[in-house]
Amino acid sequence: MSETDKNGDEINNDEMNCARNRVYQLLSSLFAREIDQALVSEFSSKQAQDFWHQLATQPEFIEPVNLIMEVIAGLTTNDDLLELAADFCGLFLVGTKHSASPYASLYMGNKDATLFGPQHQKMVSFLEENKLQLQSDFAEPADHVAVILAYAGHLVINASDKNQLSYLQNYLASWLGNFVAQVESVDQGRFYSALARLTLAWVNLEIEWLDSPSF
Amino acid sequence: MNRRDFLKGLLSTSYVVISGASVLAPLNALAQVGAKKQDGWLTTGSHFGAFKIKRKNGVIDQVKPFDSDKYPTDMINGIRGLVYNPSRVRYPMVRLDFLLNGHKSDTSQRGDFRFVRVTWDKALGLFKDSLDQIQTQYGPSALHAGQTGWRATGQLHSSTSHMQRAVNMHGNYVKKIGDYSTGAGQTILPYVLGSTEVYAQGTSWPLILDNSDTIILWANDPYKNLQVGWNAETHESYEYLAQLKQKVKAGKIRVISIDPVATKTQNYLGCENVYVNPQTDVPLMLGIAHELYTNKLYSKEFVEGYSLGFEQFVPYLTGKTDGVEKTAKWAAAITGVDADVIKSLAKIMAGGRTQMLMGWCIQRQQHGEQPYWMAAVLATMLGQIGLPGGGVSYGHHYSSIGVPSSGAAAPGGFPRNLDEGKKPLFDNDDFKGASKVIPVARWVDAILEPGKTIEANGSKVTYPDIKMMVISGNNPWNHHQDRNRMKQAFQKLECVVTVDINWTATCRFSDIVLPACTTLERNDIDVYGSYSNRGLLAMQKMVEPLFNSLSDFEIFSRFAALLGREKEYTRGMTEFDWLKKLYGGCKLANDGKFAMPEFEQFWSDGYVHFGEGKPWTRHADFREDPEINPLGTPSGLIEIFSRKIDRYNYDDCKGHPTWMEKSERSHGGPGSDKYPVWMQSCHPDKRLHSQMCESQAYRESYTVKGREPVYISPIDAKARGIKDGDIVRVFNDRGQLLAGAVVSNNFPRGVIRIEEGAWYGPVGDDGSVEGGAKIGAICSYGDPNTLTQDIGSSKLAQACSAYTCSVNFEKFHGKVPNVSSFNGPIEVKQ
Repeated sequence: MSETDKNGDEINNDEMNCARNRVYQLLSSLFAREIDQALVSEFSSKQAQDFWHQLATQPEFIEPVNLIMEVIAGLTTNDDLLELAADFCGLFLVGTKHSASPYASLYMGNKDATLFGPQHQKMVSFLEENKLQLQSDFAEPADHVAVILAYAGHLVINASDKNQLSYLQNYLASWLGNFVAQVESVDQGRFYSALARLTLAWVNLEIEWLDSPSF
Repeated sequence: MNRRDFLKGLLSTSYVVISGASVLAPLNALAQVGAKKQDGWLTTGSHFGAFKIKRKNGVIDQVKPFDSDKYPTDMINGIRGLVYNPSRVRYPMVRLDFLLNGHKSDTSQRGDFRFVRVTWDKALGLFKDSLDQIQTQYGPSALHAGQTGWRATGQLHSSTSHMQRAVNMHGNYVKKIGDYSTGAGQTILPYVLGSTEVYAQGTSWPLILDNSDTIILWANDPYKNLQVGWNAETHESYEYLAQLKQKVKAGKIRVISIDPVATKTQNYLGCENVYVNPQTDVPLMLGIAHELYTNKLYSKEFVEGYSLGFEQFVPYLTGKTDGVEKTAKWAAAITGVDADVIKSLAKIMAGGRTQMLMGWCIQRQQHGEQPYWMAAVLATMLGQIGLPGGGVSYGHHYSSIGVPSSGAAAPGGFPRNLDEGKKPLFDNDDFKGASKVIPVARWVDAILEPGKTIEANGSKVTYPDIKMMVISGNNPWNHHQDRNRMKQAFQKLECVVTVDINWTATCRFSDIVLPACTTLERNDIDVYGSYSNRGLLAMQKMVEPLFNSLSDFEIFSRFAALLGREKEYTRGMTEFDWLKKLYGGCKLANDGKFAMPEFEQFWSDGYVHFGEGKPWTRHADFREDPEINPLGTPSGLIEIFSRKIDRYNYDDCKGHPTWMEKSERSHGGPGSDKYPVWMQSCHPDKRLHSQMCESQAYRESYTVKGREPVYISPIDAKARGIKDGDIVRVFNDRGQLLAGAVVSNNFPRGVIRIEEGAWYGPVGDDGSVEGGAKIGAICSYGDPNTLTQDIGSSKLAQACSAYTCSVNFEKFHGKVPNVSSFNGPIEVKQ
């Protein structure tokens, strides 16, 4: 990826999309699996810290990012990691009334919805069209929020603004608000509600930017 | 800050998340071909029936009944949900506190639903470590791995067999005898009729339809219960019920349902009902017997030629022994049945060919042995046992009993025990003076009172000091009684390991949860029709196991590998090797009688038909010649008086059928002033016990405000200001629950029904799920076993007594908590 212009002039579209892609990847990875020691170490690096600080310069992101950074900074022992893993598990891996199963199909208002439903099928065909599939060790339906976010990241560097907007509106924003509300209502910790809020704020801002005539 | 500057700033950090690969990868074109293929119809079977299934892009798409199933159950609508419901156990999980503190964990936290995901290796390693610890520290008496249930169908992938074979490779453990379905019945009937009777083929329906003048459905709802079967259910019985309906309509057969409730069967057949006060069936039977005896309507020849002990029973009947003559008038006062009706029943039953069909609920109460024994005595007095369309049956509502058997041999299954000459790793058989086998429903007693000795079926049982339980394919937090007492007992266990498909309440209260896959995610074979043996069914794998679930075969092969005994466990055979072997064994057994193709042809066809059966009469050979064909009783005859039981000297199970008051009973019985209502918790109409309770869409078809229905009589509802759809609190001294009211004319005053199998969903006073771990927490979904009694039926069977249960109920006025049992599609908040 090209560096920013030496003069500090505005960067080109490719570079902007690259930055956006990294945000999607980050959000996706945090929903995809539990936070482990490797990720904690990575987050303590200067690059990662700078990245989070930069995210917090956007007013809509300040609150959740600060909370996320605070929690991560507090992850000092293995027990801390396990408590967070238990939060993750109860929210995303278990599937009870006190969970927030992270699959689009469950938030579309269809009472008959089950796992591996139409939204999963739709995502599978999107991925295939783009010569992509799920990682073999990610044994989840394709309408998992982590997949939908990762694919959004793929689109922002490969598809037109129009297609990006259409995807974000129809396949993410259409259900994300309900998902986030569910996470907030059942999260026993703070981290994942903050992550959910950040994700919603990011997607909303993305849509606003893509949908506005000029910026 | 404008967008460009913001994004420029992000890019300048050079940060890209690295740890943990992206969830996306380049497409592996080859791998996709198989999944994309548009399939034809694949065959499989289940407790709910046999089906054909079509996939679309590797996902189950359409489900239709098997061609020959003329009466598929509605439950077929829940099949897709069975596989794809969000309550699936997706990954191996360990309760966080157990992961941190092992056998010193805070067990009172069990049920707070705080788990972490672990790998299979880790989970199985922890499982083995716990077994090591238990065997080393306490020995085999501390491990209970004997609990069983309805699991899923399939001869190879039997969850019980796999778990027990594998655990036995590690060490010995406590087992059980009996079951929750027919505990009292299967224990008493060998003394009386020489066989368990409940799990045996019965007189063929065609013979009943042709010969019976009267059918007595005694506490029996076959139209409801025949939807499911132990093996792949054929639903052939429904054809006969349809014919019976016609005969009732034409006045050719008189069907009388003796039941406090108007059952589904009664409503279907349009037959008569005799209301009887709950739990008072024995006095009713005694009143009828008294009529038969005093009016000489009974068959003296049959009683003398085929039974033993009538002369010891008669003084009890006439009041000579206890001063109470068991007249119709006496019976009327207890049963609420008019004396004239009782006399009339005696005349009707004696006046023609009468087939008695007993349900199972009636023996699932305190002294449950008595109604079954007394029914046999009545049938003996009628003298028609062994005649087509006469006598008494205890199983015509179960798994196609009564449908003529083809006579073919069914396939064998995966071995449950160790192979010949093999020993467990911990080869310790010292149970420290405790019993190796306990009555199935007394395991909570054992945990709470280790070392206590009880009477059980003529022997003494000393309770082992259980510290660990391994549960596979069954749900004690559904089938056992008195939840709060259970919760208390469970806290004494150091380790609980559960293998299941869904997040049942048992999983919730466990320490290690291992995800098994459903029948549709593995290959297997099964007999089509448990008792009719109509054919052999291929159970073809529809989809790969979801998430990280595995077949029981795979789970326990991996466990055996930890012991270095995987080859021994599998006998060196793969899943398909086993299927070919089991099929081959079946083919050999049927050689010369029933043609079966080679395995490959069978698997491709999906089914081999064994043909129709010939009608048959139960006990006919005994009737023809009781000396050459004796019953399995000590005397070879029907034992109206049992010397063996008499010598046990039990106060709650005497030498002949006896009416004994219950510990609690509605309608004028003990405790009825405080708790005037009888709660029956019979087998559900739209589930198999607790299976299929997790399918959201299907559950929506019967739940009320998201909760289990409680069926209430109009008169009781009105008295409490309850309307259809209200949330009701049902309670007694043992616990409380919330259920959704269904006001129904099928129910009389003082009787409510909450079907068993409702998933236990306790919540705290604040509505929190963690609060549900507390003893006394209200069940937000409506599990009736929150309220039932955990006592043995008697010293004979020590069986499940769920039906001896008195309650009261009221409209719920508090803040309604969310149901904490399961999660389906989230309610969309607009």
